[in-house]
Amino acid sequence: MATVTPALWRRWGPWALGLVGALAALGLQTQLYTGQVRTVATIFMFVALALSWNLIGGYTGYASFGQVVFFGLGGYFAAVTMTHLHWSFWVALPLAGLAAAAYAVVIGIPLLRLRGHYFAIATLGVAEGTREVVINLDGLTGGGGGITVPTVGAAAATKYLGNDGFYLVYLALAVLALLITGLVSRSKFGFAMRAIHQDEDAAAAVGINTTRTKVLTFALSGLLTGLVGATYAFQQVTIYPERLFDVEITVLMVVMVVIGGSGTVLGPIIGAVALQFLSEWLRQNYTTVHTLLLGIIIIIAVILLPQGLVNYLREARRNGDYSLLANVRRYRL
Amino acid sequence: MSAVPVLETRGLGIRFGGLKAVDDVSLSVPEGLTLGVIGPNGAGKSTFINLVTGHLKPTSGTVLVDGRDLTGVKPWVIAKARVARTFQIVKPFRGMTVRENVAVGVLYGPDGTGRMSTALKQADEILAEVGIFELGDRPPGELSVADARRLEFAKALALKPRLLLLDEVMAGLRPGEIEPSLQLIRDLKARGMTIIVVEHVMKAILAVSDEVLVLNAGQRLMLGPPREVLSDPQVIEAYLGHKYATRAAQLSEAASAALAAPTPTPTPTPNAVDIAEEEVGPDA
Repeated sequence: MATVTPALWRRWGPWALGLVGALAALGLQTQLYTGQVRTVATIFMFVALALSWNLIGGYTGYASFGQVVFFGLGGYFAAVTMTHLHWSFWVALPLAGLAAAAYAVVIGIPLLRLRGHYFAIATLGVAEGTREVVINLDGLTGGGGGITVPTVGAAAATKYLGNDGFYLVYLALAVLALLITGLVSRSKFGFAMRAIHQDEDAAAAVGINTTRTKVLTFALSGLLTGLVGATYAFQQVTIYPERLFDVEITVLMVVMVVIGGSGTVLGPIIGAVALQFLSEWLRQNYTTVHTLLLGIIIIIAVILLPQGLVNYLREARRNGDYSLLANVRRYRL
Repeated sequence: MSAVPVLETRGLGIRFGGLKAVDDVSLSVPEGLTLGVIGPNGAGKSTFINLVTGHLKPTSGTVLVDGRDLTGVKPWVIAKARVARTFQIVKPFRGMTVRENVAVGVLYGPDGTGRMSTALKQADEILAEVGIFELGDRPPGELSVADARRLEFAKALALKPRLLLLDEVMAGLRPGEIEPSLQLIRDLKARGMTIIVVEHVMKAILAVSDEVLVLNAGQRLMLGPPREVLSDPQVIEAYLGHKYATRAAQLSEAASAALAAPTPTPTPTPNAVDIAEEEVGPDA
């Protein structure tokens, strides 16, 4: 019988775990009530979103505070082409992702020259501006009144997927995001992303084309976010600019990644699952004050684990010191 | 020695507003030469390195590497042309191990490989060369000042450079820690690498340089053999101020007087090095 060596485990273990997780998610679907299917599908949606933000914000260190622009753009691309051109969702979906990626390249080339807070603010501005453009192109997008994707009858090229259908699509997108993150984190390209995060000048000095790396990462991140947005638009049927370009979606992505551990594979998944699960549980049990409680919990988590859960555990294991107070002290400014 | 210099600058300069940080520096560095660059603080030494390696865009002049015009290109283009540098303030990639820090350079350097195992193996060889092989698994934050400088060295060597620019790799080191760095530079020299050493540690400059360039207020003040340059009154004045220059002149006279005495004792010619070490200390 073959033995599992540590090296073998390091190489293949995470993939095996991912596969088991995906299969478990498929099995889970058969055990859930209708309402629960929706909730878990939303968790998958946020897992995919958090993982895609993590590529540019976590690994590469460029905190995109306008990430929702790719979500909205992907969503509107799908809704507009499905409504006006009667495209099938399965055609609109990949092209919506590519459209978002192309937009990431176009805005990334100028914006990725900015660092730190300047980049964050500029992306936020672009997202807000893009929403205004979508509102004003009302012939195409329905403006502030929204646009409704045909889901029944002759006008619908793709029948509405239903709760189970969207569960599977979101699961597939989460798996795709995980796969890309897993591949990138171990590849040469991943090294370049991390090097840029830690010191851009030093990265350039050892031969890394920092501009190309940043733009490609932003495009990849935009692609994944756009795919999720397109799915969300179809799931919602009627979409409005205010919802599809909602800053709150960006904030959720950031918070999930930060709480879970940015620049790691597992962190965004843990953050997304924990936050969505917690939010849902609080909503059901403390309806009136659930956002308040959620906010307090997030604040406490960020104070105690400023580097995120996964990074904290990694460091604690190396130092043999699991004290949260020591952790706070280590990261105190 | 090939006829084309490894590095040539023609009228190289940059101005920040009204300040000419580097002003009209022309220079030719033939293959295999080790050039020491000295000058007072703010003379433009690091700026000169930044201009050559693409971290700053010159406002005038040209940079030729192996005869190729690489003026104002991006740093990664320079790196691929086998010009490597270290940073005065060490810039390790903190989230990676020491070994991975060096592996990045192997992956993205001129001989860029896509194979992680190859890169890590080569990184180990380079770490062994600079003497920190046993620290390969550590995060760079745990390294001592001397070891962090060695890592900076290793990251540059990962590019298998033809021209290596060292920006104060010995700053902050204790005298005992300087010797291994000097030995490393001598080894690289023996292999035919062309090296530019920016350094305040005069002993180091003297020990390894074939020629010394003195920068002052962004301009090329002097270029020549180390002993000659360092005993030049103009250099002493620029480097150590007017007071020392006067004192050096007096010492020089005293030495001449000693020569005239009946039993002449061999007195070394005073120069900037002796004065610097005596008055300022090696780390100043």
